[in-house]
Amino acid sequence: MLLTRLKAGGPAIAKQGILVAFVVFMIAFSLMSDRFLSADNIMSVFRQSAIIGVMALGVTIVVIGGNLDLSVGSMLSFATVLVVDLHDKIGPELAIPVMVLATLCLGAINGFLIGILRLNSLIVTLGMLSVIQGLVLIYSGGQNVDIADQRGTWFAMFGRGAVFGIATPIIIFGTLAVVFHVIMTTMPFGRHVHAVGGNPTASVFSGIPRSRVVFMTYLISALCVAVAAIILGSRVMGSQNNVGQGYELQVLAAVILGGTSLLGGSGSILRTVLGVLMLAFIQNGLILMGQPYYTQWLVTWAVIIIAVWLDVAAKRGRLFSPIA
Amino acid sequence: MTNKMKFLLASCSTVALAAAASADTVRIGITQNNVGIDSYQTTYEQAFIAAAEANPDVEVIVLDAGGDVARQISQVQDLIQQNVDAIIIWPTDGQALVPAVRNAHREGIPVVVTNSNIAEAGMEFIAAFSGPNNIQQGIYSAEMMCEALGGEGQIVQVTGMPGYTTAIERQKGFDDRLAEMCPGVTQLDIQPGDWNRERAQRTMETFLTRFDRIDGVYSGDDNMGVGALNAALAAGRAEGMVFIGATNFAVGYDAMARGEYWGSVYQSPVDDARAALQTALDVLAGEDVPKLNYFDTPKITQENMDQFDRPVF
Repeated sequence: MLLTRLKAGGPAIAKQGILVAFVVFMIAFSLMSDRFLSADNIMSVFRQSAIIGVMALGVTIVVIGGNLDLSVGSMLSFATVLVVDLHDKIGPELAIPVMVLATLCLGAINGFLIGILRLNSLIVTLGMLSVIQGLVLIYSGGQNVDIADQRGTWFAMFGRGAVFGIATPIIIFGTLAVVFHVIMTTMPFGRHVHAVGGNPTASVFSGIPRSRVVFMTYLISALCVAVAAIILGSRVMGSQNNVGQGYELQVLAAVILGGTSLLGGSGSILRTVLGVLMLAFIQNGLILMGQPYYTQWLVTWAVIIIAVWLDVAAKRGRLFSPIA
Repeated sequence: MTNKMKFLLASCSTVALAAAASADTVRIGITQNNVGIDSYQTTYEQAFIAAAEANPDVEVIVLDAGGDVARQISQVQDLIQQNVDAIIIWPTDGQALVPAVRNAHREGIPVVVTNSNIAEAGMEFIAAFSGPNNIQQGIYSAEMMCEALGGEGQIVQVTGMPGYTTAIERQKGFDDRLAEMCPGVTQLDIQPGDWNRERAQRTMETFLTRFDRIDGVYSGDDNMGVGALNAALAAGRAEGMVFIGATNFAVGYDAMARGEYWGSVYQSPVDDARAALQTALDVLAGEDVPKLNYFDTPKITQENMDQFDRPVF
C-alpha cells in the first residue's frame, strides 16, 4: 500500500524523493546513451551547472527565510558586464572587488526593502529585475563587453582553469555548497533563517532579529550572484547585457526541485545541489539523445511539477487530498 | 560634428536626396524596437541620427518602444497625430503592429518597415521594407561551409532563440542551400543557443561529448559562434574544425584574424540605418521603390576580411 507506506515513512520519503528520482533519471539516461555516464560528460555537466548552482545556493537561503529572489538573473547580467568591462580598464585584481561590492549594494537594497521595510519580496525583486536590467543598459550603453587578452589573463582560472584535474567552477560550487550547508545546519544564523521563514511572528517573540536575518539572506544571495558572475565572465570572456535573462527561473526551478518549500521554513542546501545537477543532467541527457529543444522544456517542467507533487504528498501522507 | 564632416557624410550617404528634397524639409518619425538592449540596435540609432543630421532637408523624430508592443502602437498613433511625412518602424512584433500600420496608411502617411519585417497581412499597408535578407544570409553561410569543407563532412548547428524570425529564416536558408549544394555534408544535430554565448558554449560542449567527429559548426550569429569555438578550444578539438557564423561581431572578427574562425556574414547596423532613411526619402520623393529593399550583407572570410572594418559591436 503506497499510501500507508507514504504515511508511515512520510518524512523519510520526503527527504529521499529527489535522490530516488535523480538515480532513476541517471539510470534511464545511461541506458539510452552510452556517452552519458562517461567521466568527460559528468565533468562537463558539473562544470556547466556551477553558475546556476552557485546562484541557487543563495536563493535557497532566501527561500528558507520565507522570501523570493527573482532579481538574480538581471543581477548576474549586471555583475558579469561590470567585471568584464572593468577587467580591461582597472585590471582583474581591482575589477573583482569593485564588482562584488557593487553587487552587494544591490543585495542590500533588496534586503532593506524586504527585511527592514517589510515589503513583499515578489514585488520588490520583480521590480529589481527590471531596475537592474535598466542599470546594465545605462552602464554599457547597449554595447557588448569583451576581454581583449583572453589567453594572457589570470582571470581565466575561475571559469576555465582546473586544480588537480577538477575544473575550478566545480571546486567553487562544491566549496560554497559545503560552507552554506554547515552554516544552515549547525550555526545560529541557519536556525534563525529557518525560524524566520517558518513562523515570522514567533521568531520575533523568540528574540530573533527578523529584519537583520532577512537582510542578510539577500546579501548572501547577492554574494552568490557575484561569485557566479566571476565564473561566467571568466568562462565566456565577455558579456551581453542580458546574459542572465531567464536564469532566475532556472535557479528557482532547481531550488523547488530540491524540495525547498516556497512557504519558507524548510529546505536544504544539499538537496538544492541535487536539484541543480538533476536539471543539468536532464538537459544534457536529452541533447545527447538527440531530442529537440522543446522536449527539454516539457520534460524539465514535468519533472519539477511531479517532484513538487510527490514532495507535498509525502508531507501530508496521501497522494490526493482536497485539504493539505 | 563640424560642418565639413557633416558635408562629407552627406555626400557619401544621402547625396541623392539632398538634391531631390529641394526647399521643403521633410519630417520623418521613427519608432525603434529596443535601443540599448544590444550593440546592434544602439549603433543603429546613432547611425540613423547621424545620417539624418547630415541631411539639412530632413528633420527626424526618434522614438524607442523599449521592446514594448503597446508602447510602439501608441508611438505610431502619436506620429500620425503629429502629421509627419513618413513613419519608419522597427517592429517589436510583426503581427501586432499591423492595425497601427493600417491606420497610418489610411491617413496617407507612408510607412517604411526596417530591419525585421511586418507580418504578411501588413504588407499591403506599407510603402517598403528595408533590411537584411536573413534567408540569403543563411544561404551564404551554407555556401561558405560547403566550400570550406570541400563538400564532405559532418556538422552541427547552433541556432538563435527558437521562434524568432531571424533565427528561423537563417536556419531555413542554411538548411535548404546546404542540402542542395552539398549533399556530402550531413547535419548531425541542430540545437538552440538562444543568442547567448554561454548557452551556445554549453550546447557545443554537449555536441562534443556526443559526437567523436565534428568537421564544422554553423551558428546563427558570431556571438554564439565564439561560444561554440570556446567550447571546442577548451576540449582541444578546435584544430581543423570549420566555424561559420552570421552577423559578424567584433569577437568573431578577431577570432577570424587569429585563424580560428572561418567566416561569417557582414551586417552593418550603419548600413541598415542609412538604408532605412534612404528608403523613406525615396518613397517621399515619389520614386518607384520596390516593396522589399535588402541592403547588402556580404560574406566575410579570413581571406577578404581586410576589406571590412572591425565591427563596432
